[in-house]
Amino acid sequence: MDITESKVSEIVIFGLKGRLDTTTAQSAQEKLLASIGGGEKHLAIDCVQLEYISSAGLRALLLAAKQLRAVNGKIVLYGLKEHIKEVFDLAGFSAAFPIFHSQVEALNSFKS
Amino acid sequence: MSSQITVSFKNQLAEIERLGQIMGAFAEHHHWSPQFLFEANVALEELLTNVISYGYEDNQEHEIILRLSFTAGEMTAEIEDDGRPFNPLEKAEPDVNQPVEDRPVGGLGIYLVRKFMTDVAYQRLDGKNLLRLKKQSVKEEH
Repeated sequence: MDITESKVSEIVIFGLKGRLDTTTAQSAQEKLLASIGGGEKHLAIDCVQLEYISSAGLRALLLAAKQLRAVNGKIVLYGLKEHIKEVFDLAGFSAAFPIFHSQVEALNSFKS
Repeated sequence: MSSQITVSFKNQLAEIERLGQIMGAFAEHHHWSPQFLFEANVALEELLTNVISYGYEDNQEHEIILRLSFTAGEMTAEIEDDGRPFNPLEKAEPDVNQPVEDRPVGGLGIYLVRKFMTDVAYQRLDGKNLLRLKKQSVKEEH
């Protein structure tokens, strides 16, 4: 899995490319939590190139969401492939993680 | 690749990557849809991860056997390990309607296994855990 990190105004964008599974979720989790620990409150996860996610990946995102809630932050996702979206729906994650089609929509959601 | 394969995994998490490669090759051979492959891969990853992470109290190397077959549109998978007795089906299901932030972090793996498999059965046999999974491929409607 490749993880990229960039920043647009006050929003940190993490790009997840490949497979977010038992073996890769740990490093993704560390990067997300380090960013939040460093004071970032607005996270957008770019899932355009995310091919696979298992419960380990869901857990990493859940931990990030929990930490963000404690500081009144927010995490959003965009560009999910249909089978990835299905996992979020099944797990009941869709309610807690706003999901957008495009990056523009995702970034705009922080404005209001 | 025949319609039935047997693979031996060590009790190391790095094996999850190899599982993905094996599943990918098996899926290609049997012309699985990407969706079918994804769901089958996730289910087997969750169960294998459980065995590797929680199945052993010693630090020895153990062998976990996966038997995978695909006949007449149905996948059958068996996972056999010599770890401590553990029936993952006895784990309580997470309440997926509870707000995510209030939920305990665990339990989702087995939940996905149940959702993605047509049938899951557990048996303790000759000092081993044996999980039998079935997944029926459904023709997509157009």
